[in-house]
Amino acid sequence: MKQVLKGKSIKKLGTVEGEALVTTDLVAFWGGTDWETGDIVEVGHEAKGKNVKGKILVFPAGKGGAGDTFGYYYLARSGKAPKALICNRAQNTTIAGALLVDTPMIYGFKEDVVKLIKSGDRVKVNSDDGEIEIIRS
Amino acid sequence: MRLNKEQEEMLSGKHGRGTQKAIEILVGLAEAQGAEELVKISYAHLMPPDVMFFPYGRQGRWAHEMTHELTMDIDRLRVTATIEPLFCDLAIAKTLQFSDDMIAEMHKIQGAASDFYERIGVIPNYSALPFYVRPGKLGEHVSIAESIAILWYNTMFGSRCERDDGVTSLSAAITGYCPLAGSHLSENRPGEVTIRLGDDLDFEQFNDADWDAFSLASSRLCREKRPVFVGVPRDIGITDLKHLFAVIAVESGLAVMHIVGVTPEAPSLEKALGGRKPQAEYVVGKKELVEAYQLANTTTDKDIDFILLGCPHLTLRELRELAEELDGKKIKDGVNLVAVTTRMLLEQARDMGYSDSIQNAGGIVSCDMCIAFAGTQVTGVIATNSIKADFFYAGFAAEGKRKVRFGSTRDCARAALTGKWEGRVP
Repeated sequence: MKQVLKGKSIKKLGTVEGEALVTTDLVAFWGGTDWETGDIVEVGHEAKGKNVKGKILVFPAGKGGAGDTFGYYYLARSGKAPKALICNRAQNTTIAGALLVDTPMIYGFKEDVVKLIKSGDRVKVNSDDGEIEIIRS
Repeated sequence: MRLNKEQEEMLSGKHGRGTQKAIEILVGLAEAQGAEELVKISYAHLMPPDVMFFPYGRQGRWAHEMTHELTMDIDRLRVTATIEPLFCDLAIAKTLQFSDDMIAEMHKIQGAASDFYERIGVIPNYSALPFYVRPGKLGEHVSIAESIAILWYNTMFGSRCERDDGVTSLSAAITGYCPLAGSHLSENRPGEVTIRLGDDLDFEQFNDADWDAFSLASSRLCREKRPVFVGVPRDIGITDLKHLFAVIAVESGLAVMHIVGVTPEAPSLEKALGGRKPQAEYVVGKKELVEAYQLANTTTDKDIDFILLGCPHLTLRELRELAEELDGKKIKDGVNLVAVTTRMLLEQARDMGYSDSIQNAGGIVSCDMCIAFAGTQVTGVIATNSIKADFFYAGFAAEGKRKVRFGSTRDCARAALTGKWEGRVP
């Protein structure tokens, strides 16, 4: 079964495919995620203990301080960044971080991506056309 | 995207590589946000990574990589600018358990960076509360890289800014422009949900920590949706506002919110909601407030090693409360208390005798530094009056070497005297 969703891509960076990590909580990359390990470490976070490295990270929106952008940069520089970012509402700090290190990011879908995509789903992210494809066998 | 003649010239490299790189960054960001043009700004608040973000080790090198192309040929900024706190006051870095090597590197990187920004005309306020130095104006476009200040300028002044980061705000200050998107546009400013206090609580009985806990509880309800607060006392002061704004700015990632009867875009609930119905109506009662206290206290240990205060910088009221609790007494041996404020407020606290009372009791009073970040090196149990700092202390403790107790300024001061946490929970 295939399902295609259309959103707004921040930059044309080709197509990537990977396993979804979905969280219903907002995500902070600085303080909320350990930039040296990729683990979500925030106290009380729904996805605490999960690792974002190489995942298609699906979340409602970013949060954190204005330094969250640097947090994402450090995460990427230590090789622990997600493969792509998929969210409902795009925080400026999240966009800026993704742009600094060229992580594909798509946001602003008609559908609630957090409800539609399940952790473990294969997701193809086409940043040139602003489309994501959920692949379920 | 439409660019004007000046912006085209910047993009062509006519004004040098730094300006060219800055406008490239802003155009890329504008396209990502779906903006059609850039808008002129009148003020910027900077968060340079080499000033504030752990200026040693790998992060020290990466900070340089992020901004050196922007700054290499810049000798002035196009708008008035203020700046975030320095990472650490070197005189107290040892107390905060930094090694000599780290301190030497910090001295070099943070020192060179702050010298540079002062040389190009940045006002050396070194604080997350730049409104003490450069207040905002209704409807003006600004670029700010500090979560509480972004929320404050949008909400308290009705200025317009997005959640800009350190690279974006520096680019905006260099060019004098930022993308016309997000909270810069009227359509993205009205409140989406409402938040009231439950009947089992009373704002008039709130201390500073209760405002922090209320803010955390609120953000867990409204999440990324812009809230309108109803029923907040019209005479709410700068200290309580600081606590209300600091937590929700980080926990919800909000750029703008509204407080009916207090903030300029909220003369009434209807106006604050832009004439629409709220998507949800939330109530923060005693249960939610107590849950917030439980989340913020990451340990039940009673023995306190550090009392770290000043994220964001302590106000005069907080310094006075500390001074009142500590005056004529002694902080327990082996317990370190560090109270951080702005240079300007420290001057006033000295005149009023507050810093003497704190220092004579054995406490450290410092200014211009970030106690949230610089406090992430210590081992043991930290007491703080700030859930924002708590977020970073707990977040950077993957090895579990640091735990946090959260409570009011007065509860933190009392813990300094006895070494024991006896914080009140409502």
